[in-house]
Amino acid sequence: MADCPHTIGVEFGTRIIEVSGQKIKLQIWDTAGQERFRAVTRSYYRGAAGALMVYDITRRSTYNHLSSWLTDARNLTNPNTVIILIGNKADLEAQRDVTYEEAKQFAEENGLLFLEASAKTGENVEDAFLEAAKKIYQNIQDGSLDLNAAESGVQHKPSAPQGGRLTSEPQPQREGCGC
Amino acid sequence: MEAVLSDVVAPEDLLKFEKKYNSELVKGTVSKETKFEYAWCLIRSKYTEDIKKGIVLLEELVQKASKDDSRDFLFYLAVANYRLKVSDASGFIVAKTPCEKCALEYEKALKFIRTLLRNEPGNKQALEMEKLIDKALKKDGLVGMAIVGGIGLGVAGLAGLIGLAVSKGAAKS
Repeated sequence: MADCPHTIGVEFGTRIIEVSGQKIKLQIWDTAGQERFRAVTRSYYRGAAGALMVYDITRRSTYNHLSSWLTDARNLTNPNTVIILIGNKADLEAQRDVTYEEAKQFAEENGLLFLEASAKTGENVEDAFLEAAKKIYQNIQDGSLDLNAAESGVQHKPSAPQGGRLTSEPQPQREGCGC
Repeated sequence: MEAVLSDVVAPEDLLKFEKKYNSELVKGTVSKETKFEYAWCLIRSKYTEDIKKGIVLLEELVQKASKDDSRDFLFYLAVANYRLKVSDASGFIVAKTPCEKCALEYEKALKFIRTLLRNEPGNKQALEMEKLIDKALKKDGLVGMAIVGGIGLGVAGLAGLIGLAVSKGAAKS
């Protein structure tokens, strides 16, 4: 633990990725998992298009807490928010405390995408974000995510390169959403 | 890290945690958790008076904190002091202008972040924060010097004019 201290509060980052030839800018909010931050970080869930819920495959207690985090995520986001479950520390196979199969089953029962990843080696890290983005994009394409909805968490910028192909609907104006 | 420094609390959140804090206060004891939640909201306010209040609460927390706990408080004390840097009389945080007081706030911010780094030299968030404060301090220092320099030139110019007038007057008489 000492070599990898917890995030203090909230960290923000951005990353540009490509999904089906569309450039997508991801605004990433990394909220700390410590109880101290939990009540306040709840407000950062609002208007999120996707959420990555991360547990540690070598510590069963983190897996056991998932339902309570999932409840928060579901209650505070909109029904279309894509939630992806990530089992971190996949590099520490010898210390594994949660099997792939049971986590996969938990994910399926709750309608979550699932991946095991390693922040240390980088394995599947990019994929986790890509998968989430793909699913969000798919939701836009099939019309289940309405870009005009205030809480969609997605902004369409027709001025961006290759823009205008995402949807022909007018660009939603979102204010005060923190993105 | 800039985003952490410029992140502003939603008014309804500030109100929510203020209520929680006050309801515990009237009962006699405020829990450490409630105090931190309220302080964290206060220091993200756009009003300097709120930020100052948040700093007081965080300082109380850090005094009683274990080494493990103190990192969170120290980090936000640095953020709060950085955010305090510039404010006008109305209490709003305004666009950055150089002032002596700002340097003090930055130095305070630096002091807190360095205390954190002494306990945890590799902390990435703290290292990034330290770099930003350092940059702000240097920038402010340079702008400050430029203004003092400008005043210096002005005074020299004025002295020159007076000198000229005096010498002209002397020539006339």
